[in-house]
Amino acid sequence: MDRRDFLKCSLAGCSLFLVGKGLSTPLSSSALAAPPSQLSRVEARYYQKLPDREIKCELCPRFCQLGDKERGFCGVRENQDGKYYTLVYGKVASLNVDPIEKKPFFHFLPGSEAFSLATAGCNLSCKFCQNWEISQMRPEQVRNIHLPPEAVVETAEKYNCPVIAYTYSEPVIFYEFMYDTCLLARRRGIKNVVVSAGYINPEPLADLMKVVEAIKIDLKAFTQDFYTNYVRGELQPVLKTIKQIAKSKTWLEIVYLVIPTLNDNPEDIRKMSRWLKAEIGPDYPIHFSRFHPMYLIKNLPPTPVSTLEKLREIALEEGLHYVYVGNVPGHPGEHTYCPNCGKVIIERYGYTIKKKELSGNKCRYCGQVIPGVWS
Amino acid sequence: MKTSKVVVITARNVFSGQGLPDPRVVLKMFRKGLELLTGASKAEEALAIWFKPEDRVGIKINTIGRRLLSTLPETSITLGLWLGQTICREDNIIIWDRSNEELKDTGYKLSNTPGSLKIFGTDTRGAGYTEEPIVNRNIGSLFSRIQAELIDASISLAILKDHGLAGVTAGLKNYFGAIHNPNKYHDSHCNPYIAELFETDLIRRKHRLTILDALKVQYHRGPSYHPQWAENCKKLIFSTDPVAADAVGWKLIDELRARKGLPSLKEENREPVYLFTAEKLGLGQARLENIEIVEEEV
Ligand code: SF4
Repeated sequence: MDRRDFLKCSLAGCSLFLVGKGLSTPLSSSALAAPPSQLSRVEARYYQKLPDREIKCELCPRFCQLGDKERGFCGVRENQDGKYYTLVYGKVASLNVDPIEKKPFFHFLPGSEAFSLATAGCNLSCKFCQNWEISQMRPEQVRNIHLPPEAVVETAEKYNCPVIAYTYSEPVIFYEFMYDTCLLARRRGIKNVVVSAGYINPEPLADLMKVVEAIKIDLKAFTQDFYTNYVRGELQPVLKTIKQIAKSKTWLEIVYLVIPTLNDNPEDIRKMSRWLKAEIGPDYPIHFSRFHPMYLIKNLPPTPVSTLEKLREIALEEGLHYVYVGNVPGHPGEHTYCPNCGKVIIERYGYTIKKKELSGNKCRYCGQVIPGVWS
Repeated sequence: MKTSKVVVITARNVFSGQGLPDPRVVLKMFRKGLELLTGASKAEEALAIWFKPEDRVGIKINTIGRRLLSTLPETSITLGLWLGQTICREDNIIIWDRSNEELKDTGYKLSNTPGSLKIFGTDTRGAGYTEEPIVNRNIGSLFSRIQAELIDASISLAILKDHGLAGVTAGLKNYFGAIHNPNKYHDSHCNPYIAELFETDLIRRKHRLTILDALKVQYHRGPSYHPQWAENCKKLIFSTDPVAADAVGWKLIDELRARKGLPSLKEENREPVYLFTAEKLGLGQARLENIEIVEEEV
């Protein structure tokens, strides 16, 4: 039994449900997992009180304005008598130890294990969501275990995880829980990484970046049409988030899930690559990941590998330095190539590091500095 | 030509001394409402038009406003017992909403015993949601298994309220409580979501009757309860056209608002546009000129 298996078993023993390959299964077919009264009641941050017991949430660009007893779009924040509460503070719906490459982070402590967790809920509604069984649910519709920040950090320590990853659903919506955990983890020398769609307002993002080391942004497409029809959100705030992170000290990687016929237009990818190069420079990694039919989009095939290769080629042509192919184990696009000498400096197979030819933060062959967090 | 009929029944004495609906008066209202709606001489004949003896009937109520602003047991149980003792089997009637907690907070005693009326939420063990999302246009949701599997016919017994986002919440929007993710459908005035949800086979095919509970109406700042903007209207509104019923509910809310010197929903730019979407989808009549409104007092 390895550490991962042990974690699965021990958590199952304390009545946490399945922690499979990184994803939990909510109890969707029978009863709700937790009555609403067993959810958390911790006052939310970033909201305004309005007259007549209304509130306006300012955490994300939706700015939900809600009356008493109403919840925001994300389904995990509730106005109770004019005060806004997060219902998912310490309410972990999915928990796992994952390789950091699975997030994916390719330029952040390669080969390390990330203690990964999520609560239910999301502030977007992607029709192709790969984690919909927690992200598109309300917290009372999945099984939760109570794991407050201290317990998260202690468990991560117990399993020698150097990183905690806030991931799977959308960490923005469990901001308070994430932030407090980050703070505690950092004091104990554990690094924090966030996997997000970047749908967050600048002020909470700025505060969050004070306590996290890296953020991976899922850029869903480079057209507003796609965001309107398949994501139910706006593109511009996400681009703003990308720029804000790139300007900070927080490490950034970008993932673009390529869905056949929906967001795989080469011209859009060219425009996006140009935009990225102009706005944040060529050095932040971008991963073109393979889509698998899921949730509300089941009528499309998995992304052809040739499409991923073509889009990768375009991004490289446009001058981006670190362009990866994701979800295709064994593909040469998984490796990191030195942009100067062209040699493979990190060789990967899926989530496994096969070879690392870095000396500190430099290419071992030519001495080129490779941006990232390497130690 | 007026193609849909909506009946509005008022009972001045509907509230008892404790301020709760008096079941005897409520029953009279139900009877009269259904007689006028169908032209039947006896209300039971009207019920028999929509429900077969073997039908399992869901009465979907809305308890989010708890005791202060919900379909109260005095109203829904009266309907359930009447239906269960005349046309259907009592234990084939389910009064239901999202959660047991909300039902209990509203004053319901949960019940799932053989032989008697059933009252429970989707979170009851053995209920829950469908495994896979059901998709219709912009809707992609898991459905309560009560709506999906445990009933054959449905009554939307909905509380009528002003709604900050939708404009009006009534019989159509009541079915937001039948899915797992209503929070995803509140943008753009809940349009087209409310209409498209009703259009799904699981709702449209099973829906038989809308009854709007307008005994107490929150006409401003809804859907939350604000006593200063709630009025004891003492009305129940009946229709087999779910869109027309809600359109008449909207009219009532706007009349109350006008009487209190408040701007209309349209003036506040939040009229329930989903009703017009519903009309376009062929779900019913949203325009008052196409609706015959019959009003009577009992
Ligand atoms: S975080 Fe949730 S409640 Fe707040 S604005 Fe975003 S979706 Fe709305």
